[in-house]
Amino acid sequence: MDCPRSGWIFIGRLEESARKAADWLVNKTPLRSVRDWSIAFSLWPVHFTTSCCGAEFAAAANPRFDAERFGFLPFLSPRQCNLLMIEGTLTKKMAKAARIVYEQMPDPKFVIAMGACAIDGGIFYNSYNIVRPHEIFPVDVFIPGCPPRPEAVARAIVLLQRKIREARYLKREKKYESAGEVGTDE
Amino acid sequence: MTSQGSRSSETDMGYGPGTIKEPGFRYRPMGRDAEGMELYEIFIGPQHPASGHMRIVVRLDGDIIVNADPDIGYVHRTMEKLSETREYLKSIPLFERATIIDSANITWPYVRAVEQMLGVEAPLRAKYLRTLLAEINRISSHLYGFGLTGIFINHSTMYMWSFGDREIWVQLAEELTGARLTHTYIIPGGVRRDLPQGFKEKALKAIRYMERRLEDYMKIFVYNPVTVARFREVGVLTKNDASRLGIVGPNLRASGVHYDARIAEKYGAYPELDFEIPVMEEGDSLARLLVRIEEIKQSMRIIKQVLDKMPQGPFFADKYMRLIPPALRKHVAETGRIKLPGAFIRLKPPAGEAVARGEMGHGEVFYHIVSTGDTKPYRVRIITPAFRNVVLFRHLTRGARFMDLPVIYGSIDYFPPEGDR
Ligand code: SF4
Repeated sequence: MDCPRSGWIFIGRLEESARKAADWLVNKTPLRSVRDWSIAFSLWPVHFTTSCCGAEFAAAANPRFDAERFGFLPFLSPRQCNLLMIEGTLTKKMAKAARIVYEQMPDPKFVIAMGACAIDGGIFYNSYNIVRPHEIFPVDVFIPGCPPRPEAVARAIVLLQRKIREARYLKREKKYESAGEVGTDE
Repeated sequence: MTSQGSRSSETDMGYGPGTIKEPGFRYRPMGRDAEGMELYEIFIGPQHPASGHMRIVVRLDGDIIVNADPDIGYVHRTMEKLSETREYLKSIPLFERATIIDSANITWPYVRAVEQMLGVEAPLRAKYLRTLLAEINRISSHLYGFGLTGIFINHSTMYMWSFGDREIWVQLAEELTGARLTHTYIIPGGVRRDLPQGFKEKALKAIRYMERRLEDYMKIFVYNPVTVARFREVGVLTKNDASRLGIVGPNLRASGVHYDARIAEKYGAYPELDFEIPVMEEGDSLARLLVRIEEIKQSMRIIKQVLDKMPQGPFFADKYMRLIPPALRKHVAETGRIKLPGAFIRLKPPAGEAVARGEMGHGEVFYHIVSTGDTKPYRVRIITPAFRNVVLFRHLTRGARFMDLPVIYGSIDYFPPEGDR
């Protein structure tokens, strides 16, 4: 910025500028990589089971597959979670709840859509009561399979971690910004 | 419906539908009852631990549950309607998804109903193989239920143990059928694969391991003083109420009713096997847990007998074997795996109706199929055990303490996708 008098900077509102400076700093390489590294290893999926893929999701957390070694442990409250796993079919009634859960999670948040149903309806493709998850959230990783094996869940977690560390995860897009018809209960 | 404890019926409390205006809060006061006590309404779910998929609307007076309303339908995937648009064979994978943890048991009665209409009967070996898979599934379904019960009362050890041990049975089923959960093993005319080599040794090893583990379960979970204190005399279902409400499965047998569709219907290899139906008189949550433990033991007993008595012979009905071209038939004989010709999808039962029932891990499932002589059914009606047991939420929770709700939920072993279909 060209200053009229050398040694002076126009900073405008102090809070505003401080926030911008902090944003800028956090997005610079040393801090950003520390931030992304720590996000990648603290993925807390919210405990929200939408369909039968939940059985394999639960199996992924069991001692045999032990997803916890990736820093991945289901947790109860969406307020303290940053990962939403869509475990299979999303019915219209469930989609409302899923959207509310998604809205409640703090940024940065990620979505993994698990199962053929969560990609394009799967075996229920011609059902009158299902919603495709990618229509209501930005989905980071899709897991194909019906149901996907627990190993596939583990792989999706690794993929998501890689995406996070390379800062390639989806920013919330305009399209998903407003709650829309699906998100509200009224 | 009778109410338990000192709480009187809904009308006395001065609330009902229409009192609740603004959605969006997690709980809200609902006015006062006759004694001036405030009532609260709490929405639990559909985002909650364990099986999820459902909301329970609980009305509370202090710590006492006045009424708990299960709000089902979160996993209603319209299976009955979809089955009308698919051929008979294609509906098997569809119904499997209703209870993915118990998929052999839920599709077996369907296949039996289709077989009735087609007029074929599975050979004896196929019946034994079906029984084998059904019992393996029953064990893994019960273990799944234990794990969720454990997580409900914050007993993570039980979750980890029973889900870890469930893997053994899932793996056995995978060995037999090729899929972890969605086996589609039982098809009209027989089964899809023969018994693999060395299966018996693995199954016996699994049984020996499980018998040892069940003793550990008793020590660390079932007879744990904390569990006993929370489960004993909580959510008591009397024998009279159990039969009046039409409860099925282990929940019914824990209340002292000796009823099991395996005995009543005499299907598969069950008439030739020697096993008991565990029944308990107490009807409380602990009894429901214990009945399931006993059922696991009986299932293992059945598996042992099935493996010992396994008859030789074909595992697929001759009538359909003849549809398979000779070259492929040779392949089937060599590998023990059915490869069905494309024409098999066009099974055409004559016009008519058929019903069948079977015992799943959660209870009795009932199918009613109406055919108009087409390749697709005109109507398939499924009555699943979870749907029949969901009434228990309302019935058992009245007058219980709020912290008893997870225990009651866990002990009923409700599986929402099955109830909603
Ligand atoms: S993908 Fe398959 S297993 Fe998963 S929810 Fe859909 S039907 Fe169920």
